[in-house]
Amino acid sequence: MEPRVPKALQALLVLLAVVSASPAFAQQPSTGSWRDAVRRLRDAAIVPAAPGSAKKRIRSMRAGGLRGLAQLHAAAALNATIAESEPNGSVETADSVALGDRATGTVDPAGDVDTWFVDLAAGQLLSVDVDAFETGSPLDPTLALIAPDGVTLLAFNDDFDDLDSRISFRVPASGRYYVVIRGFGASGGAGLTYAINFGTVTCTAAGTEREPNGTPATASRVAIGADGSGEICLQADSPAGDVDFWAFTAQAGTTIELDIDAAQLGLLVDPVLALYASDGTTQLAFNDDTDGADSRLQFSITTTGTYYATVASAPGSGDNPFPYTLHVRAITPGPGDPITVRAEGLGQPLGLAVGNTGDVFVGDVVGNRVLRVSSQGVVTIFAAGIPSPEGLAFDVFGQLLVVSGDGAVYRVTPQGQATRFITDAGIPFWIAVAPDGRIWLTDLSDRSLRRYSPTGQFQARFDAGVIGGFGPGPLAIGPSGEPYFSNGTEIWKLVNGRPQRVLRDPFVLWAFAFDVAGNIYAPAPVAGRIKLFDATGAVVADTFAVGPDAPQAVAFGRDGTGATVARLFATDLRVGHLIEMNPAGVAHPGQPAGFIPPPFTLEAAAAGLLGAGGLSAADAQLLDALGNHNGRYDVGDFQAYLRTVGAIQGAATAAAQRRQGSDR
Amino acid sequence: MSRSRRTFVMLAALSLGAACSNDPAGSAPGPRAGTLTVRLTTPHGDDGAMTFELRGPAIDTAMVVDPSLRLFTRRESDSRVVGAVVGPLANGAVIRLQVPDVSAAGYTANVLEVADRQDVLRFSLEGYALTVAP
Repeated sequence: MEPRVPKALQALLVLLAVVSASPAFAQQPSTGSWRDAVRRLRDAAIVPAAPGSAKKRIRSMRAGGLRGLAQLHAAAALNATIAESEPNGSVETADSVALGDRATGTVDPAGDVDTWFVDLAAGQLLSVDVDAFETGSPLDPTLALIAPDGVTLLAFNDDFDDLDSRISFRVPASGRYYVVIRGFGASGGAGLTYAINFGTVTCTAAGTEREPNGTPATASRVAIGADGSGEICLQADSPAGDVDFWAFTAQAGTTIELDIDAAQLGLLVDPVLALYASDGTTQLAFNDDTDGADSRLQFSITTTGTYYATVASAPGSGDNPFPYTLHVRAITPGPGDPITVRAEGLGQPLGLAVGNTGDVFVGDVVGNRVLRVSSQGVVTIFAAGIPSPEGLAFDVFGQLLVVSGDGAVYRVTPQGQATRFITDAGIPFWIAVAPDGRIWLTDLSDRSLRRYSPTGQFQARFDAGVIGGFGPGPLAIGPSGEPYFSNGTEIWKLVNGRPQRVLRDPFVLWAFAFDVAGNIYAPAPVAGRIKLFDATGAVVADTFAVGPDAPQAVAFGRDGTGATVARLFATDLRVGHLIEMNPAGVAHPGQPAGFIPPPFTLEAAAAGLLGAGGLSAADAQLLDALGNHNGRYDVGDFQAYLRTVGAIQGAATAAAQRRQGSDR
Repeated sequence: MSRSRRTFVMLAALSLGAACSNDPAGSAPGPRAGTLTVRLTTPHGDDGAMTFELRGPAIDTAMVVDPSLRLFTRRESDSRVVGAVVGPLANGAVIRLQVPDVSAAGYTANVLEVADRQDVLRFSLEGYALTVAP
């Protein structure tokens, strides 16, 4: 029986699933409370999930007939074959072997533990390789390496070569190290034999790579359209690990795809892939885990020259060597290519919204700020101090709503003043505003959608857990005003309170946007491109545009009057860019942004302010929401109302003044 | 015309002329319609909106001095008008009042609420004042 996971943890795991869809989130947790939280969540998720999922994975691989591809060996000349001597279930009773020996034994009875020790010198690169499944034994072994203190677990492996285990580990100090072998799931029996090869890691010449190739200067060459193959192997003389550089020449205007096959060959390994510019140091793109554990990226080349692809093992994924194949392909760009970088240095921009003056707003999740990018590309801080801004949307009154990692939705005035606006959602993440002004939130705490009035009053909750996947993820309002939301690789819409699936894709789709024709522009961050679907969910352009790395959210531009236009913007979290697709490829303007005039006359608003009555409590609440949101209708709210309905100053003047105010 | 009759006409004309002449020493003053100016004293340079009250015997109309301001008023009674003025407020004349008798005593004005130009309500009205004068 699976251990029962507390509800709170489930919610956190859902959050994890969402954020881990972004490669940067999953791979680069470094500093800051938000990233630390993600890292903790990731750790929490991995530990209980590993054994079962590994078994499923290896068995599915085996079904693909890929056995035998992992013939990488570690190796040392065989010295002797040593049979186990029971009891050997503890470090105190461990059997002795030396490097080069082959240890043999049987895991019997069920739950049997066999322990071996080997004396090593500091810096030696130990390889412990089990042969059991591969020699016909029904044993599914697990392997652990214990430090000289007899307690500290240094390394663990379940399945490396099919069901067989292997550990490669550089020992930090001289001493006696212990190797423990068990049957998976405490299995055991008379026929469950094994052999363990104790050796040091040696790297074989494999494939078309030419070691050393750990720098741009020594890179192996590969042509576009060809494959490179090699082995990632922890070199004894390279404690930092093996990085293989591949050089290729690409022409401006080409869109290239780099694609690694390694895990796909049946190995439980985790390769990562990066692309560097001609200087060999400027990283242009990075990917991990687009294709299962394998990696793939696409990139639009804007300058003809030599580029470098690197292949390495993901940090923390073990030191076991593995072979790989790198495919370097040219792909056909989409109608949205080439893309243009509109702003740089945006931190890690996730959410995206366009204001009614045409300025673009992005949330920097690590900088705890919302940045504004003017039409000239000038970047200013619009609002600071909002923890981990995630989803962004403008409400119908022209105020920016920002979902924060602290669990609140903030409302930010045009002057950049932020106040907590919605605080009763569990773990809100994405937000959208319908043309009728109603606000929609995703809540990861109970996998639901929540609907609020334009002034922030909770109205209804809709269960989204029934659709499976994760999330509910990114959210957008469809052509008829209904919310669409992602559960990862699928987009659903809510019809009469019930989810209906619109489309399914191989990749995780993030914050998407609609044009007036109902077409859906959806970024696939791990695939490094933006896809275009029609209103029925059919693919219109699998590659609408190739992002430089990992597009996270898209939004249509607006002009100075607030009308949406046929310009499409996207955030790129990993490289901190705001990008724009080629406008020539954007066929239609975006869905109009919502705006609802307050449902009363100017005279009524004035009379209500001056004590004549006539306004309902809801009217007063709306007016307060338009203005300073201090809980009552006052002259500040009245001023905001006059501005909203255009009764004071021209729109352009007011907008200019707002810009000036928030530029300070 | 006889001599006596000519004398009567002259006397009548003279007496009528006397009645129409401006003779301060000779009669009590009457009501004099005109304009009063409401002036604002503010400690801030970024006021954007204000509500106020006007009190006085009678106020016919109120209008803003600066056309960039918007004024909204409501007559609560014969002697009290409340209003809101929105726009870039500053020290000095804000509103002109048309009254039936500028010499009448008792016209006063008070600030009720002020918001800055970013819609934020002032917590304190210290330093604010409105004065009414011809």
